[in-house]
Amino acid sequence: MSPEELLAKLSECVEFGKVNKNAPFPPAMKGMDGADELTKQALDMGINPEVILNEALIKAMDRVGEKFNQKKIFVPQMLIAAKAMNVAMEHLKPFFSSGEVKRKGKFIIGTVAGDLHDIGKNLVAMIVEGAGWEVIDLGVDVSSAKFLKSISENPDAYVGLSALLTTTMKSMQNIVNEIKREHPSVKILIGGAPVTEQFRAEIGADGYSSNPQTAVAYLNAQLA
Amino acid sequence: MPVSELVVSVEKILKGMEMKLTDADDYLLKLIDELTGQCFRMVQPQAGYVVYDDFSVVEQKIRIENKSFDTGKIVASFLKNSDALVLFSATCGADIEKYSKELMKSGHALEGLIVDLVGSELAESVVDYLHFQVGSKVGEVDAGVTNRFSPGYCNWPVSDQQQLFDLLKGNQSGIHLTPSSLMIPVKSVSGMIGIGYSVKRVEYKCQICDNKKCILRKIE
Repeated sequence: MSPEELLAKLSECVEFGKVNKNAPFPPAMKGMDGADELTKQALDMGINPEVILNEALIKAMDRVGEKFNQKKIFVPQMLIAAKAMNVAMEHLKPFFSSGEVKRKGKFIIGTVAGDLHDIGKNLVAMIVEGAGWEVIDLGVDVSSAKFLKSISENPDAYVGLSALLTTTMKSMQNIVNEIKREHPSVKILIGGAPVTEQFRAEIGADGYSSNPQTAVAYLNAQLA
Repeated sequence: MPVSELVVSVEKILKGMEMKLTDADDYLLKLIDELTGQCFRMVQPQAGYVVYDDFSVVEQKIRIENKSFDTGKIVASFLKNSDALVLFSATCGADIEKYSKELMKSGHALEGLIVDLVGSELAESVVDYLHFQVGSKVGEVDAGVTNRFSPGYCNWPVSDQQQLFDLLKGNQSGIHLTPSSLMIPVKSVSGMIGIGYSVKRVEYKCQICDNKKCILRKIE
């Protein structure tokens, strides 16, 4: 298999969520090598890890994002693709650490103080990471002090705030105020079931995302 | 509480992923079925309630003993004709939530999401069972029950959980509250149900509520 064919195959595995050889999904690719094996093969073949990331993995997730936005696929397919992506990324981690491969940027994410719901936040973190960003996940019930500390440690990072409950939207507002007071240039993206574009405008956040893919689109747009 | 009484609808799990039954392939349906089965094996349903017949409803506040609940006008109007109020708590336990987090952490996001959705459904099913039991009991004397209402919804501040739990008096179902009044285990429900001779359950009337951001809103 040529490097181009291998990258195309790897990209296809990520797009359709073929994690590894033993994975039962998708049924049409049963028994075939998956993202796990093909990434290792690509590295063994000497393909530059940055090329693997950009030409195979991120392009696959871009296609997944497009299909999700067009409602051709749903949350489950998106998450299976992200799982395949993350398995492939495990092989690339040493190159991120060494600096040989650069991520797009940093994204600090957390569920706001008073709220313990983390599913939405986790899904966004996973998809954003799969899109080539370094994700710093602060967890749930995150105070403004904790966000501020992380921003101080990562001054070039973008920040994502999540809330599930209408009752914790006030907390989101307070955290946005605190961050903007200390770090006015930091871009803040907000999301969660009760959050709307109107609420974003009211509290002075920079972006609103209704799903993981729009979060990726927002972050990628900041690089343009 | 018998686990056999609990119900999880695959349609609701799919709805949680913004899908309909016709959108799901066999792989997903099988996965939901398997994970639902696992959740049923780890569910620890508990529910409890206390009945208060000495209460008052004035405008948008409900007073029980020395506590005043700022329920808002919608909840107050639905409960005001009750002869007594049932304060309840219900949970499906902590294990399902823990399992969901473990799956998420180990990279199985889809599985973690499905388990989380099944947990939410089971918690609602536990409280459905309790609601049904209360309804059956008062039905024996030809009385009825209202819909159930919870702090945090219909503009009822979630901070009222603290005094609601004080009044549950040993019927907290193993649930405890965080300082911000959220319940642990998270997959829990608490609130009030009215009982009486001139009340009945009706469709939730989301159109009369101005909280367009409510995650339980049943109309667009």
